[in-house]
Amino acid sequence: MAKKMKIKAKEKDGVVTVKAMFTSLMADTEQALKNKVEVEYIAHVIGKVNDKVVYEATTSGFMSENPLMKFSFTGAKKGDTLEFTLTDNHGKTQTGSKKIK
Amino acid sequence: MFKLDRKLVTITGVALVGVTLALSSTFAVAGSIDGAASIYKSKSGAIDGGVIYPRVKGTYTAYKYNEQSTKGVNFGRTPTANELKAWDIDALPDGTGLPEGEGSVELGDELFEAQCAVCHGDFGGGGQGYPQLAGGNQDKDKNGIIITLKNQRVYGSVDAPKRTVGTYWPVATTLFTYIRDSMPYAHPKSLTNNEVYAITAYILAQNGLSVDGEDMDDDEFVLNKEKLAKVVLPNRNGFYPNIDDPNAQEDIRAFFADRAKNIGAGIRCMKDCKDPGGKDGKTPAAVMKIKYEMKDVVPPYAYAKDLPPKKEVGLQHPGKEAYEVNCVVCHKTDAMGAPAVGDKQAWEATLTQGIDKVYENSIKGKGGMPPKGGTSLSDDKIKEIVDYMIEASK
Repeated sequence: MAKKMKIKAKEKDGVVTVKAMFTSLMADTEQALKNKVEVEYIAHVIGKVNDKVVYEATTSGFMSENPLMKFSFTGAKKGDTLEFTLTDNHGKTQTGSKKIK
Repeated sequence: MFKLDRKLVTITGVALVGVTLALSSTFAVAGSIDGAASIYKSKSGAIDGGVIYPRVKGTYTAYKYNEQSTKGVNFGRTPTANELKAWDIDALPDGTGLPEGEGSVELGDELFEAQCAVCHGDFGGGGQGYPQLAGGNQDKDKNGIIITLKNQRVYGSVDAPKRTVGTYWPVATTLFTYIRDSMPYAHPKSLTNNEVYAITAYILAQNGLSVDGEDMDDDEFVLNKEKLAKVVLPNRNGFYPNIDDPNAQEDIRAFFADRAKNIGAGIRCMKDCKDPGGKDGKTPAAVMKIKYEMKDVVPPYAYAKDLPPKKEVGLQHPGKEAYEVNCVVCHKTDAMGAPAVGDKQAWEATLTQGIDKVYENSIKGKGGMPPKGGTSLSDDKIKEIVDYMIEASK
């Protein structure tokens, strides 16, 4: 999870459409054994705008490598900052943010 | 057969003489066989017994070189300067040939989403059978995934390397020319140079690259001719031999001259082969042996090819099979009030009325017994069954 997050957030007619891609091998136990890597996957994703939760997901190895998430929500305007916080299976967190266009 | 024909061309002289003389002379037959055997021998420089045709300066081809004179053959005319200019549109790795222009990552993002993402996926992540442009593993993270494609095939891993711009492409200027000339797939050459710069910038940004220490993954980043020429892709030195050097021709010649070392040539090793580690003379050459040889298996392999023995069906009573299908439910025991097969007394009592009466009862039914036992068998078959039941009860 060292790399920068790729986030795209656009507002149109009050609806903010978000696409976000996170860098992770998403290797659960089975996958890690197969690929000779450590078990490491994003376990929890939370997206906030103005401290209000707009997206939340519990994830694991069921998602593909470098998972892509798309969702939309209302109640934010252009210029607000969308902030993602990822928690991996070891409890390590990473944050990334993007201004809504 | 094709291959044989092709090889014979090379020894036309030898073969023809051999075949002609073969009709009258045994000596000539032996000669032609020798000739035929020699062409299947591995020539030095050829892989696995292939045939090579020398040309000049140690070069060769896999096909016969046409040595016909080209004198008087008209190859057209010298192109005009303008024709050359129209044709010469490529860009070299150092930026020569790139047009003027600039484009921001932000504009590239917009264009990419509108025109490229439908095939190449959001953020260039790939999809639907079209090339993935970003992703893959460029740098070594703490999980041990290693920098370039060359090293991506980790022993034991099941995933193939991902060939993206960041992991595989050697030169970034190719990205520009390729997009300009061939993309978008449905309507190529519809983008302006500035738009192509923007998309190039966006794709490079998605690969997490930087120019002169400036991170490209930033909406404000603007790519132009000079910056594009400075982009160094991670897999720049992942190819061999080096074909961009001024001495490229000599390098390549040297590379292919030592085929045994660089490509592997001659007769393929099938026994006690050294591993590549031994070739430089420093690391000890390990002899590869089968570690766990399979000597036997449990249960053992069956080598017998004969069919399983046939069952002796001739000795069986003709009524037995039909009995077991149709009658056994009631006649196996006396629970249903029917005389059970094997019950000697019950059948003796039944037979006091005479065999004809027993046949009649079995066909027409009696008490709880339906006509023919509820089957649609022929009268003769029913009689056979009755015979069997009587037989079995004696």
